Amino acid sequence: MTGAATGPVLRVRGLTRRFGGVVAVGDVALDIAPGERRAVLGPNGAGKSTLFNLVAGADTPTAGSIELFGADVTRLGARQRTRMGLSRTFQTSRLLTGLTVEDNLYLAAIGVSGGRLRLLRTGRDRTAREQARRTAESVGMTDRLATLAGDLSHGEQRQLEIGLALVAEPRMLLLDEPAAGLSRSERQLLTALLLSLDRDVTLLLIEHDMDVALTVAERVTMMHDGVVIVEGTPTEIRADQRVHDLYLGKAHV
Amino acid sequence: MTMDRMLTLGTRGALAVVLVVVALVPVLCTTFFTSQVGLTSLWLGIVAVSLTFLSGYGGMVSLAQTALFGVAGLIAARLSVESGWDPWAAALAGILAATAVGLLFGAVASGSQGIYFLIITLAFAQVTYFYFAAVPTFGAHEGINGVRPPAVLGDPVQDPARMYWFLLVVSVLAFLGLRHVSRTAFGLALQGVRDDPVRMAALGYNVRLHRILGFTLAAPVAGAAGVLSAWSNTRMSAGSISLAIAILVLTTAVIGGLNRLEGAWVGALIYTLCDTYLRGWTDRFTTWLGVVFLVIVLVSPGGVVGLLGSAGSWLRHRLAGGAPPPAAPSTPAPPVPVSSGGAR
Ligand SMILES: Nc1ncnc2c1ncn2[C@@H]1O[C@H](COP(=O)(O)OP(=O)(O)OP(=O)(O)O)[C@@H](O)[C@H]1O
Ligand SMILES: [Mg+2]
Repeated sequence: MTGAATGPVLRVRGLTRRFGGVVAVGDVALDIAPGERRAVLGPNGAGKSTLFNLVAGADTPTAGSIELFGADVTRLGARQRTRMGLSRTFQTSRLLTGLTVEDNLYLAAIGVSGGRLRLLRTGRDRTAREQARRTAESVGMTDRLATLAGDLSHGEQRQLEIGLALVAEPRMLLLDEPAAGLSRSERQLLTALLLSLDRDVTLLLIEHDMDVALTVAERVTMMHDGVVIVEGTPTEIRADQRVHDLYLGKAHV
Repeated sequence: MTMDRMLTLGTRGALAVVLVVVALVPVLCTTFFTSQVGLTSLWLGIVAVSLTFLSGYGGMVSLAQTALFGVAGLIAARLSVESGWDPWAAALAGILAATAVGLLFGAVASGSQGIYFLIITLAFAQVTYFYFAAVPTFGAHEGINGVRPPAVLGDPVQDPARMYWFLLVVSVLAFLGLRHVSRTAFGLALQGVRDDPVRMAALGYNVRLHRILGFTLAAPVAGAAGVLSAWSNTRMSAGSISLAIAILVLTTAVIGGLNRLEGAWVGALIYTLCDTYLRGWTDRFTTWLGVVFLVIVLVSPGGVVGLLGSAGSWLRHRLAGGAPPPAAPSTPAPPVPVSSGGAR
C-alpha cells in the first residue's frame, strides 16, 4: 500500500464522456475513501453505467482524469486496473457461458493472481480452485459448480456475476445493479452478503432498489443527465426535494 | 445409475473397438485403401483439427491453416529433396517455420473478429499460395516431387502400413495434446476469450495475447499435417494449398463438427471416402459434397459428431426408460458449446 491508506481510493476529476451529441457523463468529480460504501443513484440514462465503465477502464473518457489507489490510471486498460485490485460486475451479466461455474470463478481468480498462460497444472492451480469453491460457497452456488454458466437461471447468473467480482479479493468493488431481476429473498441474501463484506474493501454500488442501496450505503451520489446533483448520507438523500422529484417520486420509497 | 455407468463403459468400449479397428486397417484392408483413404484422412484430419481447435476453443474460424500446412510441407520437402537434409530435420525445420509464420499471422489477425478474421486469414491463404506458386525455389507450379519420407516409415505407396501407423500415432498425440491444452489455465482462458472478450479483459486478461498464442499453438499442428501430407504423397506443390483446399479443410471440420476435436478426423474420413468412391459415380461430385455440407450445417451445427452425440443421449434415455430428451444433447459438459464458431 502506498499513500492510499490516507488518500481516497478513487479520485475522479472533470470526467466527461460524450457519445456524439449525448453527454453521458459531464464533468464529474468524485472522491471515495478507503472502506467507504457509496451508492450511485439516478434515473435511467443518468450516466451511472458509463461512469463505471470509465472507472473500470472498459471505456475511454473524452476528458478528465481517474486516480485509483493513488495512481493515475486514466491511460491504463481494464486488465491493468483489475490487476491493481479493482473489480466490477456488469448491469447485464457477462459470463463465460461455455464454461462451468467453477471454471468461471477459477479464471477470475487467476486473472489477478497470475498464471494465465500456464499449459501445465501446478500448485497454484489448486489454490485458485480452492478460492473458486470458497467464493461459490459464499454466493450460494456450491451445488452449481459443474453447471455451464450459460445454463444458469437469471438469479444464479447474477450470483455468479458477483462471485466473479469477489473471487480475486479486490480492494475496490464496482457493482452495477446487482439486485436487478432478483426475487425478494434473493435481494435479502444479496444485502446480507454486501453487509458482510470485509471493511478493507471499498464498495461503489449502482442500485435502483432503495432497500438494498440505502441499507448498504453510507453515502449516496445522485446523478442526472450525466452530472452529480446531490451527494449526502442516506437520510439527507431521502429528505432532498430534488431527489424526490427526479427519482424517488417515481420509484417506491 | 448403473445403467448410465454401463452405457458410459459401453461408449468407452466402443471407442476402444473403433481405435483397434482403425489401427488394423493396414492389416485388414488393401494397400490401395490404406494409402488412398487411410493416409489422406489422417493428414487431412490433423490439419482440420487445428481449425477445429481454433474455432471451437478460440472462436477463430481461420482459413489460413492450409497456408501453415503448406509452409511446413513445402519447406520440409525443399530441404530434404534439394538440400539433402535428413527428412526428420527437414520436418522439424518446416514445422518451426510454420509456427513462426503462425505467430506472425496470429499477431496481425488477432485484432479482428468474426467475418473480418475470416477475411484476413483468407488473405493470408491467398498470399501464401501465390508466393509458393511463383517462387522457383519451391518448384513454382510444378511443386517438389520425389519427397522421400524417413526410411523407417517405408514406402508410402507400395507398403503404406508403417506410414499409416505413424500418422495414426501423430493424430492421437495431436488430439490428446489439444485436449490437454483445452483443460489448462491457458486453454480455459482461450475459451473465456471466445465467450466474452470484454469480460475477460475485466478479469485481468490480455485478450489479444491469448488469441495470438492460441493461433500460434495451432500452427505446428497444421504444419505437421503438411509434412505428413508431403511424405504420404511423396510430393507437394502450391496446388496443395490452393483456395479450394483451404475451403476443403473448413468443410471437413464443419462436417465432422466444430464442437469436438475428434470431429476433424470423422469429417476427413467422410470426405475421403466420398472423394475416393463417389467421384467415379457422378461428375457432379463437388455439387453433392456441397449439398452434404449444407444438410449437415442445417441439421446439426455440431456436425456428424454432434449428431452421433444426440443419437447417443436419445438412446441412453430410451434404454434408461425415461422420456426422450429435448432436442439439444444434454451429455455431461461437452468441452465446447454449440454456440461457438466465429459468430462474434
Ligand atoms: N455505447 C454508447 N453509445 C452511445 N450512447 C451511449 C452508449 N452508452 C451509453 N450511452 C448513452 O449515455 C447515456 C447514459 O447511459 P448509461 O447507460 O450510463 O445510463 P445509466 O445511468 O446506467 O442508466 P440505467 O439506469 O438505464 O442503466 C444514455 O443516454 C445512453 O443512451
Ligand atoms: Mg446502467
